[in-house]
Amino acid sequence: MHGWIGKVLRVNLSTGKVSTEALDPAVARDYLGARGLGVKIMIDEVDPKVDPLSPDNKLVFVPGPLTGSYAPSAGRYTVVTKGALTGAIASANSGGVWGPELKFAGYDALICEGAAPKPVYLWIRNQTVELRDASHLWGKDVPETTDAIRAETDDDAKIACIGPAGENRVLFAAIMNDLHRAAGRSGTGAVMGSKNLKAVAVVGTGAVTCADPKTFERAVMKARDMIQKHPVGGTGLRLYGTNVLTNILNQVGGYPTKNFQDGHFPNADKIGGETLAATLLQRPKGCFACIISCGRVTKITNPKYAGEGEGPEYETAWGFGGDCYVDDLEAVTKANFFCNEFGMDTISMAATVACAMELYEKGLITREDTGGIALEFGNAEAMVEVTRLTGIGEGFGKKLAVGSYRLADSLGHPELSMTVKKQEIPAYDARAVQGIGLNYATANGGAAHVRGYTISPEVLGVPFKVDKDTIDGKPALVILFQNLTAALDSTGSCLFATFGIGADELAEMLSAVTGVAYTTADFMKCGDRIWNLERQFNLAAGLTTQDDTLPSRLLHEPIKTGNSQGMLSRLPEMLPVYYELRGWDADGIPTAAKLGELGLAA
Amino acid sequence: MKVLYFAVLRDVTGKREEDWQQPEATVGDLLRALVARYGHGFERWVVKDGDLWDLVIVLVNGHDVRHLQRFNTPLAPADTVVIFPPVGGG
Amino acid sequence: MAKMLMINADKCTGCRNCELACSMAHEGVFRPDATRVHVYTWEREGFSVPMMCQHCRDAPCITVCTPHALTRDPTSGWVDLDDAKCIGCKMCVQACPFGNAIWDAVTHTVLKCDYCGGDPSCAKFCPTHAIEWVDDLVATRTRKRAFSEKFKHAFSE
Repeated sequence: MHGWIGKVLRVNLSTGKVSTEALDPAVARDYLGARGLGVKIMIDEVDPKVDPLSPDNKLVFVPGPLTGSYAPSAGRYTVVTKGALTGAIASANSGGVWGPELKFAGYDALICEGAAPKPVYLWIRNQTVELRDASHLWGKDVPETTDAIRAETDDDAKIACIGPAGENRVLFAAIMNDLHRAAGRSGTGAVMGSKNLKAVAVVGTGAVTCADPKTFERAVMKARDMIQKHPVGGTGLRLYGTNVLTNILNQVGGYPTKNFQDGHFPNADKIGGETLAATLLQRPKGCFACIISCGRVTKITNPKYAGEGEGPEYETAWGFGGDCYVDDLEAVTKANFFCNEFGMDTISMAATVACAMELYEKGLITREDTGGIALEFGNAEAMVEVTRLTGIGEGFGKKLAVGSYRLADSLGHPELSMTVKKQEIPAYDARAVQGIGLNYATANGGAAHVRGYTISPEVLGVPFKVDKDTIDGKPALVILFQNLTAALDSTGSCLFATFGIGADELAEMLSAVTGVAYTTADFMKCGDRIWNLERQFNLAAGLTTQDDTLPSRLLHEPIKTGNSQGMLSRLPEMLPVYYELRGWDADGIPTAAKLGELGLAA
Repeated sequence: MKVLYFAVLRDVTGKREEDWQQPEATVGDLLRALVARYGHGFERWVVKDGDLWDLVIVLVNGHDVRHLQRFNTPLAPADTVVIFPPVGGG
Repeated sequence: MAKMLMINADKCTGCRNCELACSMAHEGVFRPDATRVHVYTWEREGFSVPMMCQHCRDAPCITVCTPHALTRDPTSGWVDLDDAKCIGCKMCVQACPFGNAIWDAVTHTVLKCDYCGGDPSCAKFCPTHAIEWVDDLVATRTRKRAFSEKFKHAFSE
């Protein structure tokens, strides 16, 4: 095989058995890799009703067919599992350099099943795969773990690991790789912790081969050129990072503040990308084979919050910033560093803090509950401290570890949790931008922005501009983005490549590297197939159309200030149209005809 | 009218915002005046093929001019105009 | 005037496109282990440096090469490796003070940058000009200009 390696590594943590099997070319052809292949493995092998933290859940690490090649910005991998936070199919996408290393080691996927009786880590050097004792590593944070494992294995080993948050089963714990990159959402880290798996260390000295090198080089040079000429992919992201969005969303009035009580933050500029570039930014950073370099290498010298690492990204700056009503960029960045060090999803962590701040505001949480911390909106030190406590599993941090939905629900007010399918909504107000609200409600992994990033057309105007406030055409637009993204995610490409290229170029590169001819239509159909497969998993897990919704606040409480004042989400009008266009019935269940069209079993 | 600059336009103009004293009838008039003031460094981020670059976000009182009349969108002295060069994220 | 590969480490993002370009150009596959340019990244600080053969004028590798597989081309000034003459003794790997001669255990050959015959793939693929194929006389011009600007600021009124 080309692009793909043709081999899957399977590790049974309960028995210690390590085995390999061939990658079925038909499966590879239909599901590509990464997210798609991971979902296919999950639905074939795991009962969707399984408890995510039980040994019967599986944890699958999957790069894509483009991963390890020089397709521009296509060095990613996905972690697929049943989400600890959501109880739904979870696929967390990550960059860095870990994913390609697994390909060079000789594998298209790593399936971790069962649970080890004691803490272990997996050490993969090409065909040599060992489970090693990790008792001495349990409790260590991500940088310490990385150093310690390298000292025992190889200085250049690429490490994906959990910190204390995953060990303690914080429901939004992340798997971190290469110190600063996260397979972040839905609690993949908690699943890894429940398996007593501390880390996966990889050294790969093999090759990723290419079916048609000349054609591939031409396609790659063309794609690179398109991305480099695009103002966002070519310049904007490198100069300012994703955090450039802070001022944009704030100016259009869709920047959620105080747990979505409002949509505008007067001091947004203090925590935006321009300010970051002028203060804490050291230099940009790129993932494997990346030509965009949106990564932010940052350093805080102020002794109060001293530290260095990467970030914050826009979502993180929003969450610890505007959502908590904090305008201190150093505090926001420090909270971001804590999340990377302890292994937590920044969006869910920050939004959980914001929810707790509203609960505190309403007197449902008191200073006694927080151990003396004045958890008020705007209190930067409090925001940083409770984040740290959650990471290390102490004090009030233990209460936040369940995420905002379970926290608010335990106090009798689940409606104060801004979540969909129990996953925290990210940094775009669904009342100010209609299409993204529909995406939040229908994304298979719970509220997430990247699954169908209609902010691009609705706010930025990429690849074309639509009015953020209309609902006409939004269901079709959301579906288009969701399908394209599902296919793109499954190749190993980064979503930011779409600031420059589209399905045509991706299909072209995919065909040249694999030797399997994909038309653009084939490629998009893969995306549609993967989306429907995810949906089937969720339905079998017990999710229903009731879960395709938004918090009551976004449907009934208009934005108070800013340029989208007075607006509400019109989700109820869009959802039925969405179902119909997807080929689903009125309950959001794929029809037999739709499944047949995609080659899926009923 | 108040004009707010973001991202690379802050480096080009040297300002985050300014009170633009001259009356400008339309967005196009304002942008042409700004290009005259700040030169090619400003123009390259805002104008393409003689028209407003599709990827530029210009808001008048919070409304995106791509859904109003683009260059011909009328302006009043009390308006706030916000200009973002093509940017992105996720 | 001759050309050289200029390393601008401050521009390196650690993306390793250079490694992929090099291994594809020479080996026909993507295998970062089999490249003649390697990127070293300090993860905590986020600093990366690409390293490749510097084609030294007084090259230690040439000094130790008994079959004269490594020679210096008098016109280009490059250090060439003739694989046909190489006996695989790896003395050049021991001798290079920078570690830029690499032994590849898969192909049993020494890997050393050969400037791709005058059109280096790494420079072509580097997205940030961290590796540049430049005339030797202007190689440091950008850097000198950038730093001398500090004097301009210091002396301006």
